[in-house]
Order: sequence, then C-alpha cells, then structure tokens
Amino acid sequence: MTSSTLPSQTPAERAPAATAANTASEAARSAKKPKVPNDREGFRQAMSWLHTWAGLILGWLLFAIFLTGTLSFFKNEFNLWMRPEMHGLQPVDATDPQVAQKALDALARKVPNVTQWIMHLPDDRDPAVNLLWRDTGNGRFETLRMNPQTGEAIDARQTMGGDFFYRFHFELRTAQKGRWTLEGRWVVGVATMLMFVALISGVITHRRIFKDFFTFRPTKGGQRAWLDAHNVSGVLVLPFYLMITFSGLMIFHTLYMPAGIATAYKGENGVDSNAYFADLQGEKAESRPRRRPGDKVEPLPAIALPSILTEARTRWDGGRIGSLQARRDAKGRAVVEVTRHEGDRLQYRPPRLLFDASIGQWLDQADATGPAVKTYGVLYGLHMARFADIGLRWALFGFGLLGSLMIATGMVLWSVKRSAKSQTQASRTGIAANKDNRGGVVPTMAPFGERLVAAINIATLAGLPLACGVYIASNRLVPLNAEGRADVELAWFFSAWGLALLWALACAVVRPSRMGWSFALGAAGLVWALLPVINALTTHTHLGVTLPAGEWVWASMDLAFLTTGLVLGWLSWRLRPGRARKGKAAEAKTPRTAPAAALPAATEVSVSTSGA
Amino acid sequence: MKATRVNGRYRLAITSRAVAAIGGGYALAAGFSAALSLLLAQCMPRVEAVLTATMLSWVVYAAAAGWAFYTRTAWGAWGGTLLPALVLGACATARHWMKAAA
Repeated sequence: MTSSTLPSQTPAERAPAATAANTASEAARSAKKPKVPNDREGFRQAMSWLHTWAGLILGWLLFAIFLTGTLSFFKNEFNLWMRPEMHGLQPVDATDPQVAQKALDALARKVPNVTQWIMHLPDDRDPAVNLLWRDTGNGRFETLRMNPQTGEAIDARQTMGGDFFYRFHFELRTAQKGRWTLEGRWVVGVATMLMFVALISGVITHRRIFKDFFTFRPTKGGQRAWLDAHNVSGVLVLPFYLMITFSGLMIFHTLYMPAGIATAYKGENGVDSNAYFADLQGEKAESRPRRRPGDKVEPLPAIALPSILTEARTRWDGGRIGSLQARRDAKGRAVVEVTRHEGDRLQYRPPRLLFDASIGQWLDQADATGPAVKTYGVLYGLHMARFADIGLRWALFGFGLLGSLMIATGMVLWSVKRSAKSQTQASRTGIAANKDNRGGVVPTMAPFGERLVAAINIATLAGLPLACGVYIASNRLVPLNAEGRADVELAWFFSAWGLALLWALACAVVRPSRMGWSFALGAAGLVWALLPVINALTTHTHLGVTLPAGEWVWASMDLAFLTTGLVLGWLSWRLRPGRARKGKAAEAKTPRTAPAAALPAATEVSVSTSGA
Repeated sequence: MKATRVNGRYRLAITSRAVAAIGGGYALAAGFSAALSLLLAQCMPRVEAVLTATMLSWVVYAAAAGWAFYTRTAWGAWGGTLLPALVLGACATARHWMKAAA
C-alpha cells in the first residue's frame, strides 16, 4: 500500500461500513458503484472526499460568516433598531439642499478643522444624515448621526449596531476599533475559497443533482433525511451560493490575488497600485491622493454646497443623490464628490460627479465602463445587495438562511454519518475494540475527534444564534453611560458564544448528554423571543407603539426576533431528551434513529453500543 | 494492521496533498493570473486584462485543488500544480528579467 493508491483509499475506507447490513442507505449508495471504480467514479469519489473535508475544516467559520452576512442584508435596519434614540425622525426630502447644509453647518460648529468628510443623505432605509469626518490626513473617521431637519447630532447610544454583523462577516471584527482586520479578511478569504471548492466538488459529487431538487424524505429518518436536507438546501439556490462566494473572493481580489496587478501595473518605480484602483473605480489616477499616516492636510474651505447639489441633480435627471464627500485631491485642491444613490443600479460603485468645492464648478465624472470592470461591479453589487428593495431583500435574506442551513446540515451530516459508521464498526468488532480510545476514556464512547466535532457543532450552530440574540439584548440592557459601551456589547456577544462552547464541550466531549442541543437551542430561542419584551421594558420603540403607528421598519424587527425565538424554541423542543428516547424505542430495529435523535452524534454511539 | 499503516502514510500523503492544493494551487492561480493579465493587456485596457485574468484564476485555483486530490500520487499533486505555476510565473516575469539582464 503505497501512496499511489491513496485516492481510492478514501472510498475503500468506507467499504467496511457499507457491507454491514444495517447501514441501509450506505449500502444503497455503494450498490450503484461498480466494484472496480472506473475513472469517472474515481473522480467523483475524490471530489466527494474533497467536499466532505473542505466542508468540515472551515464549516463552522463558514456558518458564522454566512449567518452574520445574512443578517447584514438588514444592516441599516439593525442600525436603526439598535439606536432607539433615532425613533421619530420625520422623513425629509433628501433633494432639499438645506438638509446637507444644516448637517454641514453643525459639523463646522462641532469640529473646526475638518480635512475630509463623507455625508450619507437620508433615504427610505435610514432617516438620519450620517456624517463621517476626520481632521487628520489619514486617520480613522468619526461618525455623527444627525437629525435631517435641524442638523443637530442625535445623542444615540454607543453601539456598533448592524455594523458588527457586517464587519464580523468579512473581517471577523471583535472590537469596535479592532486591530486584526487585515488578518481577519485573510481568514475569511481562506474560508471563502474552501466554500468555493466545496460547492464545485459538491456539484460534481451529486450525480442526481436535478432529482435531488425534488427529494426530501424527512420520514426516512437519520442520515438519509440529513442528506436530503443538505441536498435540497444546497441545490435549491445554488446559483446564489456560487454568486455570493465568487463575488466575495472578487471583492477582496486586490488583497487575495494581486498577481495580475503586480505584473500588468508594473512600472519603472515598482507596482503602481494607485493607478489600478483608479482604473477600477473609473477615476483619474492623479486625482487620488496618496497619504501616509503622519501627513498634514489643509482643512477644507467653505463649500458651495447648494450650487453643487443643483448641478448634480440636473445632470442625473431623476436620479437620487446618495452621498457627498469633500476632500483635498492630490494637488491639494478642495473637491466635492457627489455619489449617486446605491439603490439606483445593480453595478457597484455608483457613478460619481466631481466638483470644485469652493466655486461649485463641475470638473469631471467617474464611472467604471469597461466590460470586465462592469462585470466586477455587478458581482460586487449583487453581493452587497444595496440595489434590492424590500421584497428582494427578504428573498436574499431567505437565500442566506438557506445557505446557513446547507452548511449546518452538512456539518450534522458528517457527524451522523461518522457515528453510524463507528457504530457498525463497534458492533462488529466488539465493544472494547475502540481503537481511538485514548487514556481514561470509557470504551463505549465515540472517538475523541467525533465528540469534538459534535461539540463544536453545538457551539456554532446553536451557540451563534444564542450569541447574536444576547448581543441584541445587550443593546437594551447595558447601561447607556457604560465605559466603552459598544465594546461591552461585543463582550456580551463573545461571552455568550464562549459559554455555549463550554456547555457544548461538557455535553458532547466530557460527559455525553442529550441535553447539549436542546438546552443551547432553547436558551437561544428564549433570548430571541424575549427581545420584544426587553425592548418594551427599556424603550418607547416597542410593538405597543410601533404597531399602532404602522412603523413597520421598527415593528418588523421585533416581530422577526419573536419569530426567530419561536423557531429556535421549536427546534429545541424537537430535540428534547425525552422525545429522542421515545423515537429510539419506536425504531428499535435500526440503530440509526430519527433525525432529532441522531443529532448529538457522540451520545448516539454510547447509547447504542451499551445497549447492544 | 491496515489501520496502523493507513494512519501513518495515509495522513502524511493527505497532508502533502492538502498543502499542494492550498499552496501549489495558489501558486498556479497566481501565475495564471499574472501571465494572462500580461497577455490580455496587449489587446485590452490593463484593468480589463487584470480583472478578466483574476476572475478566471479562482476557477483555476478550484480546479487545481480538485486535481491535487484526484491525481494518483501526492507527487502528482505537487507536480501538477507547481510545474505549470513555474512555467506561467516564468512567462509573466520574463520581460522583467530580460530587461534587467540587458
């Protein structure tokens, strides 16, 4: 047995399990395989193996990325709900130059020497003026949220709001001013690449991909039901997964795959990445300032805002203005860049108009127009979904949830399949012959690796929803004047997640117990279902106010939280220990049990082998 | 018997293949995008060339990862990714080296 036969060893490793009569579905699967695998089958086997392991290794991280990314489709709504102080802002006509002017005047009163600012005008998803500013050459931006009618800053609670889900989603941000964002982006990139590989190998593995589309047999129980659930959730919106994964890789291609830039943009003085970024955005390279952190920049002069806005509106006849930015260009001239609203088209970024800041004269426009750049922009836009109206937004949210479900069922399937295999092995070779048994472990327990996977499954698939619920609850419960309040909320999030991990380790690794899933999901469900109640007790933006007033942006958040809580609670109820045992008794003939019972894979083995 | 033999060599070979898939696959994809960017830049704007090549390079990466686990030997996984990566890398940097030598 040399390495030359290794790829076919993966199926061979599976073969013993298939010969056992009681692994019915495994046998059914392998019965279709020829005895000597031909090349096509060999390829499929190799891809199946790759799918399993690429999926397992970063599956938990992928689940977290997918779930927080899904929540990020409603980033603005989370941002609003988590700042109840913003409630009651009247919608304004964003085209009114007074809105921008008042906000700018308020900024000038607050900070004298601003060197750059970006102003997001109010729209139907966000009623406030969001103003980012800095008075340094190349430092962090500070954020102001302003009342569009008065321009006065709203004294909202300190929170990251929906931006936490967003930032965690693509750079694993753990603090408001996290330092490891670049490293986080790399980790997410590796996970995304593995997702891409898992998707492609998954498509190759599924020979009956069209049939699987219509196949779901929850009553078959056990592994088959999990496989069906994985297939259905995987195949149903496969184009969405491919799009979201591929665009995720492309959004950060300058970080992940800069080789093309390094050769095509190589000049006399090294790689001219500034020129690349300018081409990518459809800008002129010389207008892009390059500054080092210490560089001094002249403060901005008075800005001819009304004439700029009037001119921009006539140039984009009927188009919405999304944001304004004032800065100094590479030559030190103060310019204002007007960006069209992101909802006005699919391609990201929207077109921009450039004006001289002090006299308001139109200078230039910027937009990416080449076919490849447009393709990239559409991929980018599809990923960000800023173009989507409320119906499409919910649909994309649903796709994201399905994706999370696909990953979750894949992880559980791995566990269930393993436990079924080691179960048959154990029953064939006798109870004590557990080879992976390492010092002090009861012989009837599943191997350590399987128990660990089961534990991390609980900690991620149930623990992350719990942590998200706790994070949202903390937004209402942490005192408003707490030191570093935004980070305190994050501390709640990570503490809840950590506790879920400890609980999962205790319930799946140390002392296998059926309570693992049920309790963690139950706790998560309780937190989510209580969110509307906590909201009612701590704010005036609760359902009792928002429902009668028909403020659906606010009310639907509470209602969605309640629904989430009920679904999680229902799952917990399905997985409760008593029910699982009953299900087991009913299926005494087959060691593989109902889907609910099969969930805690590790305990499955200990129960059945001791019973055998 | 089988189990012990599987454990040692098998794990080593799988690890080798995984490293080949991740590292060798990346090298191949990077070399591919570098060489294709240069080639396409002859007939289209630079940014178009880079984006086209980069978008395709992810597919190359995925295919290389698939190859690394499909090919018969772990050596094949390395050879199948690193050799073409070296060739493509040489193509992409040839102009630079020739200029430096001249």
